[in-house]
Amino acid sequence: MDKRKVLIVEDDQFLREFYQELLSGAGYIVDVAPDGETALAKIRQGGWNLVLLDIMLPKKDGLSILKDLKTQGPAVPNGQIVMLTNLGNDTIINQAFLLGANGYLVKSSMNPDDVLNEIKNYLQK
Amino acid sequence: MFLFIITIIFFLLVVICTLLVLLKKEMKKTFSQEIAFNSLWKVQSVLLSTLKFEDVVQQITNVILKDINYINMGYVIVVLALVDKDQKNLRRIGISRTEEAEEFIKRYPKPFTDIEIPLDEIKNIGVQAIRKNKILVTSNVADVLYPTVDADFVRNLQQKVGLKTTIVFPVVSRNRKLGILIFSLKKDQSKISDIEWAVMRNYAGSVGIAVENSVLFEDVSKSNEALTDANKKLEDLDKLKDDFVSIASHELRTPMTAIRSYAWMALNKADTPLSSKMQKYLQRTLISTERLINLVNDMLNISRIESGRVAISPISFDMVTLVKDVLVEVEPKSKEKQLNLLITGPILIPKVFADPDKVREVLLNLIGNAMKFTLNGGSISMSFFTDGQMVETSVKDSGVGISKEDLSKLFLKFGRLDDSYVAAATSGGTGLGLYICKSLITLMRGKIWASSEGLGKGTTFTFSLPAATPQVLANEENYTIRVSSGEAKNLEPVAI
Repeated sequence: MDKRKVLIVEDDQFLREFYQELLSGAGYIVDVAPDGETALAKIRQGGWNLVLLDIMLPKKDGLSILKDLKTQGPAVPNGQIVMLTNLGNDTIINQAFLLGANGYLVKSSMNPDDVLNEIKNYLQK
Repeated sequence: MFLFIITIIFFLLVVICTLLVLLKKEMKKTFSQEIAFNSLWKVQSVLLSTLKFEDVVQQITNVILKDINYINMGYVIVVLALVDKDQKNLRRIGISRTEEAEEFIKRYPKPFTDIEIPLDEIKNIGVQAIRKNKILVTSNVADVLYPTVDADFVRNLQQKVGLKTTIVFPVVSRNRKLGILIFSLKKDQSKISDIEWAVMRNYAGSVGIAVENSVLFEDVSKSNEALTDANKKLEDLDKLKDDFVSIASHELRTPMTAIRSYAWMALNKADTPLSSKMQKYLQRTLISTERLINLVNDMLNISRIESGRVAISPISFDMVTLVKDVLVEVEPKSKEKQLNLLITGPILIPKVFADPDKVREVLLNLIGNAMKFTLNGGSISMSFFTDGQMVETSVKDSGVGISKEDLSKLFLKFGRLDDSYVAAATSGGTGLGLYICKSLITLMRGKIWASSEGLGKGTTFTFSLPAATPQVLANEENYTIRVSSGEAKNLEPVAI
């Protein structure tokens, strides 16, 4: 079993719990954050092999989290940060890349199988 | 003899004096003409130097009195009255800023700009001046105010202010009767010199031009303002619409993604075995949700294309290579249906000049459609053709085919055909894909069409794009589309 740690940042409860179930089922150690502030605190603790970070979030959006991480990084280094998005809107994705994101997943256009495959790919990087 | 000399000298003196008097008279005349000419030049340049209506009116009623000092020659009030827009009334517009004018206005029972005289009031000499297009003179100010106030009251007021003569000039421009210009003087009509008459006549002529110009200018400024306002409103509305579409599609996608994800979980990760009915229901839930997501994507794409938010950045590229890439991309899906994807015919074709991302979108749509409407085990073949100017790319399937009368409906929004509905319902089609293809190909200055031998005989979709010839490359700008306002948007991915 893969004991790598994944943090899921997603405000929609159903989607959050879905990713949690999907990834726990695949054997990952999963934690969740429902809003931007909780997310930033958990990312700053560090030690995540993968962070799935939604862009539109209450309290602090995904891009602001990336900006804040630039000024104060995590206590323990993190692995990959992959943005979760609903829209394939290039400008926001490009901004995320410039702010240090490693990739993105378009939630609505992917099968759960594809999501798992992508996540495996990112964890191998 | 002495007497004779005296007589001669006297005679000579008389002649010299007469000559001197004549000379002086002539000089005076020239001098006066010069003054008149200068005065006219001065008032005209002042009158025509501004276009703003209020300013023009100010100048008209003051410049002759103050700038060329006619006030010292007994001219004390100048009034401008204009025919209103519906051609019914003559309305007072402006009056000089002199003591006499102020006195008159102060004592007059009506506010000055409320003085309105119906154009059918023929006893009023202002109305007469307009109707006859003639200069009219009166010693009674009441004649130009009839019937707004009692004549005795006006006579009294006129005596107090000391007005003796009132002259009405019609104000005309290009044969249009615009109104009247009224001069009120503290001297009798007989004391008005020829030059004064000439100056007034000329002045009234200039007033016509100045009024007409400034009215035209005001009209243009007003329509300009209205157009700018309307344009701003449209831009705001457009932005609102874009924001709404964007937010609505984002908000719609979150629950749709949840439905799809849980339907998938129920089908694939359920902790009890599913009955075949249960599987069928969940399968249909999943397909319909995918179709809904595709629909939102397609509508978002159409909104972006139609509002000009999609840029076209053309480059020269090899169509065959792009087609091969796309075929690799769709391979997993084609294997599911055991479809045979192949490239037939010659592949040595010139490069095309188009936006490869958009062409990829079109290819995914066309190949995706072909896969949807071709039965398991069928084949889809790609082929190319060129006449040197355009490069044609065709996608031929061995599917159900399309009847001739339906071919034209294909590229319309929601132009799905009745016969194909069953296939669409089970395949997640949106009825918008071909419309998007046509829009994109048209933006890239190409054409798209479909042909079919008939039902059951498969369908061929072909699109043409400009070959990257030297002429095309030299006119790159003609093939490029930039986004005029706001940021350029990318298209949402095509689901296959």
